[in-house]
Amino acid sequence: MKARGGYFYRVLDVDLSTSRIRSSPVSDEFALKYVGGRGWGARFTWDNLRPGISAFHPDNLLTIAPGPLNGLYVPGSGKTSFSCISPATGLYADSNMGGSFGTELRQAGWDALRIRGRAHELSYIWIEDESVEIRSAAHLRGAGATTTETEIKKDLGEDVRVAAIGPAGENGVVFATVNTDWGRNAGRTGMGAVLGSKNLKAIAIRGTKDLPVCDVDRLTSVAERAYSYLNSHTLMGIWHRQGLMSVIDYANTVGFLPTYNFRDAHFDDAEKINGDIMEGEYKIGNSACFACPMCCGNVCLVKSGRWAGYACEGPEYETAAMFGSNLGITDFSFIVAANQKCDELGIDTISSSNLIGVLIEAIEKGMIGPNEAGLDVSWGDEEGIMKLLEMIADRSGVGDILAQGSKGMLSKWPQLSRITLQVKGLEQSAYDSRVSLCMALAYGTCDVGAHHNRAWPISKELEMGKDWGVEEKVDLVLYHQSIRPLFDMLGVCRLPWIELAIDENLYAEMYSAVTGIEHTLQDLLDRSKAIYDLTRSISARLGVRRKDDYAPPRTFEDPIETGPFAGRKADMATYETLLETYYQRRGWDLETGIPKRETLIKDGLEDVAEQLYRELGSLAGVG
Amino acid sequence: MKRIKVIPERCSGCRICELACALAHFKVNNAKKAAIRVFSIYPSPIIRTPIVCRQCDEPACMEACPTGAIRVGEDLVELDQAQCIMCLKCVEECPYDALFVHPEVDHPLKCDLCGGSPACVAACPTGALELVDGKTGPQPLLVKGKVEYENMKELSPGADGPGTPVRYVDGGKVIEG
Repeated sequence: MKARGGYFYRVLDVDLSTSRIRSSPVSDEFALKYVGGRGWGARFTWDNLRPGISAFHPDNLLTIAPGPLNGLYVPGSGKTSFSCISPATGLYADSNMGGSFGTELRQAGWDALRIRGRAHELSYIWIEDESVEIRSAAHLRGAGATTTETEIKKDLGEDVRVAAIGPAGENGVVFATVNTDWGRNAGRTGMGAVLGSKNLKAIAIRGTKDLPVCDVDRLTSVAERAYSYLNSHTLMGIWHRQGLMSVIDYANTVGFLPTYNFRDAHFDDAEKINGDIMEGEYKIGNSACFACPMCCGNVCLVKSGRWAGYACEGPEYETAAMFGSNLGITDFSFIVAANQKCDELGIDTISSSNLIGVLIEAIEKGMIGPNEAGLDVSWGDEEGIMKLLEMIADRSGVGDILAQGSKGMLSKWPQLSRITLQVKGLEQSAYDSRVSLCMALAYGTCDVGAHHNRAWPISKELEMGKDWGVEEKVDLVLYHQSIRPLFDMLGVCRLPWIELAIDENLYAEMYSAVTGIEHTLQDLLDRSKAIYDLTRSISARLGVRRKDDYAPPRTFEDPIETGPFAGRKADMATYETLLETYYQRRGWDLETGIPKRETLIKDGLEDVAEQLYRELGSLAGVG
Repeated sequence: MKRIKVIPERCSGCRICELACALAHFKVNNAKKAAIRVFSIYPSPIIRTPIVCRQCDEPACMEACPTGAIRVGEDLVELDQAQCIMCLKCVEECPYDALFVHPEVDHPLKCDLCGGSPACVAACPTGALELVDGKTGPQPLLVKGKVEYENMKELSPGADGPGTPVRYVDGGKVIEG
């Protein structure tokens, strides 16, 4: 059955090596099967996979796909996915960006933008509906990401949307970001470095088109229900005041706040960096992504002291925890300054602060010699940390080692593997998983590395899961890993669901109204599960096996030092049981962790099964 | 005269007002077909605000219109689409850049207050828009492509700050939720 909305059925292809620009058709069958966003990105990445195409190879295809609900009158419809092979992990990755950038791409009449090749000089892509050109960005070399946005808007108008990289992206920092709307980033897995490797400084868009919707009345009526549910929610007040920053106190109280490179999970000075401090002394406004009533972005300004004048959209919880407690910082002013510095340099706040924490602990414990680091930096050292951010971006001194991410750093200093919180080469987010085996499993099995994007089961497990058996724990992780990536396929934000518990069935109803084809939530969850098997198949072709699915060593080896869970660490034997149950439920091979042929066939991915097993057949010991 | 009062201190930049306007007038999902436009400006000044027709007492757009398509009505400044010849003189002459154009629409996009109950005001989740009778007080304006607003503050940077003064709208404690 043909959809009557949701798609333009065309993708914009830009080859920067040849300057060839064309519109490529997309079939109705493809559109519905892969839904959009991350789903499309994963399939395009699979189709493009060939031996030798690593992250910085010109043929690494970068897909920017907003998804069929993006840009519509739907809560939080400003999300878009960047997908490609990641320089941090060497595997499939996608990274999600908020703001209005993806919406502008849709309004220009494109379901997705695919970029390959490498421009002969630093360039930017300028899209105005059907008119597309590649322009020189030579004058922007070395410019900050937010400065680049401002400069391009001066040329093209305040109403264009710009996604840009900073110096870190130009210099190949493997956790470089792509920034839009001042402080919304495709933050994780190094998308900015992939743009940089293509000599692409920015993408600027102005679009004017109606978005295709089959039944506008039905969509509007379901959306009204969703908006009024959110707007009348009892937690909306605190949410508008603090957004994700209220998590600092919660994390510290229940005991998962990253502290001193995840050695501890409780910070005595948490009240100096929490939501109340942010709200009372720094906040000057709220900032929202497109069509979102929740406006989780707190715009903060440092009003006094040495860092006065620094302002950013944020910090949100991850940044405040990782640059705060995790580095022993007790001054919120510095966290705002570091956040803005990261946005401008174009580096991920999570990976950078995580790696700086490893470096500080390594120096403190003498695990690397004083001369090897080339500088002395310690917990709470504001100047040292600020200096390191700049050294990472311009790849000088020890910054060059950190700029290569966990993988690069550990190949130089393998002795640090014990204290480095990473999975598959991606640094862990700001939730200590020693109190939650579900969270440990979530990190271990997340397809892009130790990220909380695919599953964030920690609060539910802590609140309700005390007596859960293995199957209940695994089922929670699996449900998260289907529903959360589904939001990334549709092009909407997951926070209305995870934070304010909106009925997820509404999204199936909205997708039905948009496409004119009835979909249940289960139909969509099945598509999302299939995409998880697909991204796993990509990673399997690139060498990922069961050994790569473990939470970081510290999770199992070092007990939490203080706080309500002092003495707690995760039990490896139980983790193994969870992992095996997880594989069984997914239909992945117990020994290798590779999706079974019949699993992929059930997903409707017969051709993927065929190709995967043809390639694996040539490898000994894999079946 | 009824007017939409804009309160930038409360605006999150979400653009739901644009969506609501386009849905109410054209029944389409297209934020670009709105008669209200949100500008989110960073880092200088720091301001998020909608720009919308002020329903002037002595409208420059009306003066500029060669066909008499724009009139001061009982409760608002009206645009008669049938008389509009799309010369865009009104758009050029509006001192506040509060009239907009769209390539698929054969008249300028001008706020008509939705007949008295504006969709944007109803849809705004943070109370940044209000329908008032008479005076609005200081309003954000778009002048030659730049957003101006008299209620902005200015801060001098600290020793290790970014070097230039910061102008900003202070709305940190306005949204009640």
